[in-house]
Amino acid sequence: MVRQAHHKPKVAIFDFTDCEGCQVELVGLRERLAEIASQVEIVRWRLGQDRRQPGPYDIALIEGTPITKEEQEMLPLIREQSKFLIALGTCATLGGIPAIIDKEKRAFWYQKIYGTNYKPRGVDALPLSALVKVDFLLHGCPVNGDEVVRVVEELLAGKTPKYRGYSVCFECKQAGNSCRLIEGKPCLGPITQGGCGAICVSGGSACWGCFGLREEANVEGLLEVLFKISDSEEVEKYLSMFLKRTEAYQKFKGRVEK
Amino acid sequence: MEESFITKIEGHGQLKVDWKKNQVTLEVAEGERLFEGIVVGRPATEAAWITARICGVCPTAHNLCALKAVEDALGIIPDPTTVLLRQLLLSAQMIQSHTLHLYFLAFPDYLEIDSGLELKKKHPKYFRAALTLKEASDEIAKVVGGRATHPTTTTVGGFHKTPSANQLKELKRGIQEALREAESTAHLAASLTYPEFKTNFLFLSQVGKGNHFNIYETVKTQGSDGTTWLIKDYKKMLTEEIRRYSTAKFGFYQKKPVMVGALARLAIQKEKLNPKAKQFLSQAKLDLHNPFHNNLAQAIEIVHFTEEALELIDKLLKAPKSTNPKGLTGLKRPKTGIGALEAPRGGLYHEYTINERGLITKANIITPTVQNLGSLEKTAQALIDQTKNFGKERRAKLLEMLVRAYDPCITCSVH
Repeated sequence: MVRQAHHKPKVAIFDFTDCEGCQVELVGLRERLAEIASQVEIVRWRLGQDRRQPGPYDIALIEGTPITKEEQEMLPLIREQSKFLIALGTCATLGGIPAIIDKEKRAFWYQKIYGTNYKPRGVDALPLSALVKVDFLLHGCPVNGDEVVRVVEELLAGKTPKYRGYSVCFECKQAGNSCRLIEGKPCLGPITQGGCGAICVSGGSACWGCFGLREEANVEGLLEVLFKISDSEEVEKYLSMFLKRTEAYQKFKGRVEK
Repeated sequence: MEESFITKIEGHGQLKVDWKKNQVTLEVAEGERLFEGIVVGRPATEAAWITARICGVCPTAHNLCALKAVEDALGIIPDPTTVLLRQLLLSAQMIQSHTLHLYFLAFPDYLEIDSGLELKKKHPKYFRAALTLKEASDEIAKVVGGRATHPTTTTVGGFHKTPSANQLKELKRGIQEALREAESTAHLAASLTYPEFKTNFLFLSQVGKGNHFNIYETVKTQGSDGTTWLIKDYKKMLTEEIRRYSTAKFGFYQKKPVMVGALARLAIQKEKLNPKAKQFLSQAKLDLHNPFHNNLAQAIEIVHFTEEALELIDKLLKAPKSTNPKGLTGLKRPKTGIGALEAPRGGLYHEYTINERGLITKANIITPTVQNLGSLEKTAQALIDQTKNFGKERRAKLLEMLVRAYDPCITCSVH
């Protein structure tokens, strides 16, 4: 996809508003990061280096949600200069935890937290795809290092990376976990794309869907099950953690308002 | 599409210098995520899960601090094994954060490279040290916390899942290897030539009971002037100011700028360090009044917390299995709880009010970097004042190095 014989692919890493945990996961790849870095030219990475080259870029990775006006203005410029644009982590792919706050509620919280004289910078926690075309969504809060390596290596080999065609449940069974839903505990595994290795459920937490909706996710079917074991207030908490700006949340709303 | 942020720091900030007036301001431009609003209306059990996401460099510190606050409100006292496991997690957090900061963000200035990745070719020995420390500390976070970034096993009252004795023994082998690299890191940090520069700020550090360098079970906050105050009084003692040029608040202690973090901890409780770290400190020429020496203090702490992790594992191997956390019951009336601990960058405070239905109705979080921003800006001004004979480029470089030495976590400070 991006391989060219005469030069190393130019990679730029950007970070918008977020916790930077996905970049920490990149550093956590250790030797593998060094290996990838030797195959490409990292021409821009604020967290990692001073060196900063203007575009065009073969691959741009953007972490974080474009929450401020400056970030929302910068995103299309990065898009224009990038052949292949990857959203890195759930803040970039879905809006992430910051998207729990609705746009119209922000003014209330600004006043509560910063007082009345403060001039806010944040506008709304949007996924990148709300503003530009994104070529690949590397979901995860944080991203899974193996998935990052897989996607980048496929790109470097000239392939177009594909999404995992299965849900978290598949990996959860492989990990030997007992099913939370069968035990009567809420879980979003069935509608969530795999690739995380079911790491949260393996640790004893629920799946909150940070890997985004899988293709052809049966949201209605899962809602049916969730409403049997829980109430709408609790179900809302699950669906709003990472999926508030997705159709899953809209389907939930539609069902409750009916 | 030009940004003017300082590179190699956690988050988006810049020092704006008016070279004509010799005046500097610390502008923080990180977007506000409004965590103190995000958690309101959500179950208290989610506070730790959500607030870990304040920061990807110190998520475990926020996670544990939120758990402590919620447990304080609900009157839950975790069993001693849970406390040991959390201490192990927090020790690993210190090593993770300090290692990332030193090798990836701060040391490149001194080793005349641009990126930490260049260590591989130019300084393979240091590269190996960085990787070994990162791996050993990430491994503790994974085995005990479920993941290197953003824990999955921790919960109110205890752990969903605890490591087996074999897993702990395996961890111990990795940490023993890391201890050698921790010492080589301290030697490296001690061998660097730090810019000469003097400040005289009050240091603050939370302290535990007795003789233990306890960063998790802290009972009070102590100043380098000898004053102490109880954790519950944190809001009276630490005040925050809003600046029109910053999305982060600027913190002060009784209106005075303060410094928190590794250098502050060593200033206040160095006699409590573990043996190897203590011995190292006695030989190193640590200058408490030079903020650039925060890097050296962090390296000494890496030694301390690596020793600490080994000791904690030995204790855990003898400890009974931690009891399963009980399901939460509702409260008769709303309750407020405070959690506090020493995070890698200094004292962290979380406070939540929880209603009868177990939902959060109010939240307040004061991070270490907020407390440091007041003194960081003043220190930057002092640096400008003290380097009038230097060229502009050198002064700009020194300012950047100063910011990195402070190791600000801008995303934490805005949250």
